Amino acid sequence: MIVAEQKPLDEIRRMLGPYERVLIVGCGTCMTVCNAGGEREVSFLHSALRLAQAKSGDGAHAFSEYTVKRQCDPEFLDALAEKVGDVDAVLSLGCGIGVQAIAERLANVPVVPGVNTSFMGMAKELGVWDERCAACGDCRLEETGGICAITRCTKAILNGPCAGTKNGKCEANKDMDCGWILIYKRLEQLRQLDKMRRYYPARNFRAIPRPRRIVVNKGSIANAGEGNA
Amino acid sequence: MPNSLFEEKLNSNGFLVTTEVGPPKGTDIAEMVHHIDSFKDKVDAVNVTDHQSSVMRFPSLGGCLLVKERGGEPILQMTCRDRNRLALQSDLLLAYSRGITNVLSLTGDSIDVGDNKEAKPVFDLDSVQLLKMMKTIESGADMGGNPLKGAPKFCIGASVHPEADLIEPQLIKFEKKVAAGAQFFQTQGIFDLASLRRFMQYASQFRTKILAGIIVLASARMAKYMNDNVPGITVPQATIDELASAEKGKGLQKGIEIAARMIKTIKEENLCHGVHIMAVGNERVVPNILEAAQLDGGHH
Amino acid sequence: MHSAVRDEFHKSRADRFEKSPDHSLMPPCQDACPLHMDVREYVDLVAQGKIMEALQTIRSGNPFPSICAYVCTHPCEEACRRCQVDKPIAVRALKRFAVEFGGDRVIRAEAQTTRQEKVAVVGSGPAGMACAHYLRKLGYPVTIFEAHSELGGMLRTGIPQYRLPRKVLDTEVERLTRMGVEIRTNTRVASLELLFDLGYKAIFITIGAHQGLRLGVEGEESPGVIDGATFLREVSLGLKPSLGSKVGVVGGGNVAIDAARTAARLGASNVKIIYRRSRQEMPADAAEIELALEEGIGIMFLVAPTRIGREKGELAVTCVRMELGEPDARGRRQPVPIKDSEFNENFDTLITAIGQAPQTPANFRIRMGRGSTIQVDPVTLTTNRVGVFAGGDAVTGPATVTEALAAGRLAASRIDDYLQHRYPLTGAGRQVLASDLLPKTVEMIRKTSRLEPPILAPEKRAKDFEPVELVYDWEVAVNEARRCLRCGVGAEILFQDKCATCLMCLRVCPYHVPYLDASGTIQIPADQCLACGICVAECPARAIVLRKPYDRRQITEELEHIFRSGTEPKLNRLVIGFCCQYGLFGTGSLAGLWKRAKAGIRILPVLCVAKVEAEHMLRAFEMGAEGVFIAGCGSQCAREDTASWVSQRVAKVKKTLAEIGLEPERLQTFFPDSTGVDPATELDRFSEQISGLHLATVMKKEVAR
Repeated sequence: MIVAEQKPLDEIRRMLGPYERVLIVGCGTCMTVCNAGGEREVSFLHSALRLAQAKSGDGAHAFSEYTVKRQCDPEFLDALAEKVGDVDAVLSLGCGIGVQAIAERLANVPVVPGVNTSFMGMAKELGVWDERCAACGDCRLEETGGICAITRCTKAILNGPCAGTKNGKCEANKDMDCGWILIYKRLEQLRQLDKMRRYYPARNFRAIPRPRRIVVNKGSIANAGEGNA
Repeated sequence: MPNSLFEEKLNSNGFLVTTEVGPPKGTDIAEMVHHIDSFKDKVDAVNVTDHQSSVMRFPSLGGCLLVKERGGEPILQMTCRDRNRLALQSDLLLAYSRGITNVLSLTGDSIDVGDNKEAKPVFDLDSVQLLKMMKTIESGADMGGNPLKGAPKFCIGASVHPEADLIEPQLIKFEKKVAAGAQFFQTQGIFDLASLRRFMQYASQFRTKILAGIIVLASARMAKYMNDNVPGITVPQATIDELASAEKGKGLQKGIEIAARMIKTIKEENLCHGVHIMAVGNERVVPNILEAAQLDGGHH
Repeated sequence: MHSAVRDEFHKSRADRFEKSPDHSLMPPCQDACPLHMDVREYVDLVAQGKIMEALQTIRSGNPFPSICAYVCTHPCEEACRRCQVDKPIAVRALKRFAVEFGGDRVIRAEAQTTRQEKVAVVGSGPAGMACAHYLRKLGYPVTIFEAHSELGGMLRTGIPQYRLPRKVLDTEVERLTRMGVEIRTNTRVASLELLFDLGYKAIFITIGAHQGLRLGVEGEESPGVIDGATFLREVSLGLKPSLGSKVGVVGGGNVAIDAARTAARLGASNVKIIYRRSRQEMPADAAEIELALEEGIGIMFLVAPTRIGREKGELAVTCVRMELGEPDARGRRQPVPIKDSEFNENFDTLITAIGQAPQTPANFRIRMGRGSTIQVDPVTLTTNRVGVFAGGDAVTGPATVTEALAAGRLAASRIDDYLQHRYPLTGAGRQVLASDLLPKTVEMIRKTSRLEPPILAPEKRAKDFEPVELVYDWEVAVNEARRCLRCGVGAEILFQDKCATCLMCLRVCPYHVPYLDASGTIQIPADQCLACGICVAECPARAIVLRKPYDRRQITEELEHIFRSGTEPKLNRLVIGFCCQYGLFGTGSLAGLWKRAKAGIRILPVLCVAKVEAEHMLRAFEMGAEGVFIAGCGSQCAREDTASWVSQRVAKVKKTLAEIGLEPERLQTFFPDSTGVDPATELDRFSEQISGLHLATVMKKEVAR
């Protein structure tokens, strides 16, 4: 799922600088799961902002809170549109998708991001998330025993490992495993080491070129709404 | 038909000696030129490193031009970290046009170990794909399949890590590089000749030349630092202890001694096809090592 | 602040999460209790040290709590799910503690007469007394008719004073009088028609079961053979029958044990109980059996008398050994004599206590059932005669005091239905928590010993009729009450729409209670959750509440209260402390902290600091607290992992404080730990530290209200 981290408080305050009435909007899906922007975090951030304001004496902010089920589908934002009648800005704790979805929906209200969307990843254990997918658009997990060379190798090479691997860890971050050693071990376990002996030619970096769109059922989503307006 | 002096030497049966020079972090190339002059005639070829350890420097291609100017035989080190396939192919066209035809293909150290940590890591290709790409443009077309107006020709090399703690993945990669056309290999630093022997037992089946990488250490502290921070280097405790046993101020002396000793053994016992001396930051002592190993002037 | 946004602000604060409903399940203790007492509630109040509130809860369900405190057979303890972990909560002893410390002896029960219809209660045992009590509260004029000279029935004549002190009983009787119940002692009711003629509109027959059953053996009429219930009655009247030194008691119920222990106290030096089945089948209360054995009373199991003769001034009782044969219709294995196993025992006195039956006058014309008991409709307690109700031992045969109280209470409401021409509805049953704890949950519960109330040593006991069981010390009572698992008030995902199935609750629960069902939905089974509150405070979507969420409301409301009453002058350096109420009395060390809290420190009691959320801590600072501390029980908490989750939340708030530019030292935790640092001393140090920080001068603006 999408994992994010809340931005530092002073950065958020700086971005909110000019706005008086701010609605803090949380997201009830990914951001709740990774503890970055669910209802509880919205409430905590609200308190922290008010406390910070009192401490520093600046910022004429008045805050309110609202958490939607998801920010990334237009239907969930209908109720939000009703709440922003007299609000000067929205502080969204949704991922980058959510911030933009709200911005697209509320044409005249500025939207400020409250989290840094980090990656698509999974929970290893409580409180620990690891990136797993880079959305390269050209998934070759079959070749590498189900371990992604793009996200688990810091250099994202397809004919690995490089010479920097030491004790199964990566030269760039000794706490992280070398992706290619993981791939090697797994292919060995699956008795598919021949896949590692193959030559893999250079990646197609434009498998899905940006700006990206996927269309399913032509005539329905493609014709609905503003798109990349 | 062989393309370069170095390639000729490769195809002969002589003991090969190469070394490397690291370009300056700036425009002042005087010291680099001085080093090139000091050993260009004593070795078979001089590598110029490409932003080694991801530190931004004067370019490798520029350094190779200087080697050529000074009358030496350059090996262009080319990493995949900083340039995409267009830039890499383009640089190779320039290199060939200036008579720089020995190329060492490397993936490149990660951005994190360098001094511009916020840079974008490119890695459009990896070292194996770079070897293949060189073969492709040699055949007169670029990677996109487009015909070239004038095709280059190279003597292609790559690197290998015989002292890796887990050897089989490195061997798999080595074979891929040989299959992709690597004519010579300069290894990562060798400290334990037994592992070199084991590696050569396996590598000698392939039609490619192996030059053992010899790192010149100046102190125990430098050895430990390299262990922790430089990718691909693992200095064993015995070597660190030997360095530590040197008198104060005589660390580099000791390092030279260790290096020369290893080179002599490799040559005498014909362990592999040659050595590649890496005196990182201490290029001035390369002549001393060559002398101590009785390699200066004797072989070509 | 613009009014529209302020309204928004208040609306979002007063959201559904703060005021969720009561979805608690009835715990097995309450279900097992004949009176359906809210055991969980009063045990929890004792754990909190709120003894008066505990007593109030007890009194709301039980008209004579002090009687039950002494003699209830505590079916709640048998049903207590703590049995599956170690030993059940000592509920009865806790009730006794509440009753004694709460001063249940205060007599204060007036009632008004608001009805015309007179009701007659025939018999003044617990059923009769309870019925009278409740009818009186409903406003009916009530008369109790009691054949003996004093009220109480078996309470007075059957239960010895070392189990139920006389003055406790007398106090309850006095209360009935104060309520305005008319009492006619020494009045045996001869006919029901007479009562109706006297104007009574309804009659409750509760004459108990006093007629001792006969052994049915030769020589039963011999002098020296006395009926057990009669014996106890005589003793209760102050008589001291001479028993000699060797006394035998035939029977295995509580009457037999009572008779044996009474005989010992009257001077019999060698008392033996003869029981025809084994110890497992003995119907007497297990604790009573144990006490009897401690007092030197012998029990001969699987023995029955076959003949009683007299020989040299003693009773010569021929006994035969028994073995257990096939089970009878009710599943009890029938004892069968072993051939040729007769032996003789000599006694000075033989007391028979093999059961009692009611003696209903024939002219009542009441339909009878098995064992001379009165037949009634189980729902309405009506007999075959209109307007005539019955309950207690007279209907059930010898049973417990609490069952009789329940019958009396039910009878009162049924009589009320009858007199007001209401249809006797049975009422919707509340959902009962029935199942056992799963092994994986039991494994995580820390095993603790049951803290028994102090008991007089056997040597001291058998001399007189002073109560054998003493009362808990305060701290012991609180700690015994803290063992309660709080069945049925655990967490539930109230707002399923908000749940993102993030698995936080599943991962943080120390008891591994939440699980993913087949459809990928998180379930928190109500019958496994121990209500520690960790998942409630950690759920990122705030979708989980406790089924009886007094705690969360309490914390937020308390904070709001401090906020609104915020007339604290800025000079007074307000410090707010969230302190565990259970630990206040339970750990002792927190008590020191509370007492030392000086002016400027506002203690906010919480029911376990696990419920204090990061938002609460921040909110306290928002309200102007200069320092905030959390004082919990640490490793002495009755639940696992609570201290570590609190510490994690504290770390998060400290980080935010630092980001804001406030000193992280303003927030501290105090847990009593093994290093022995006294939390009270730490609090002093903390207060001093805070006074050096001068938040009031640092804050440029008041926090927006």
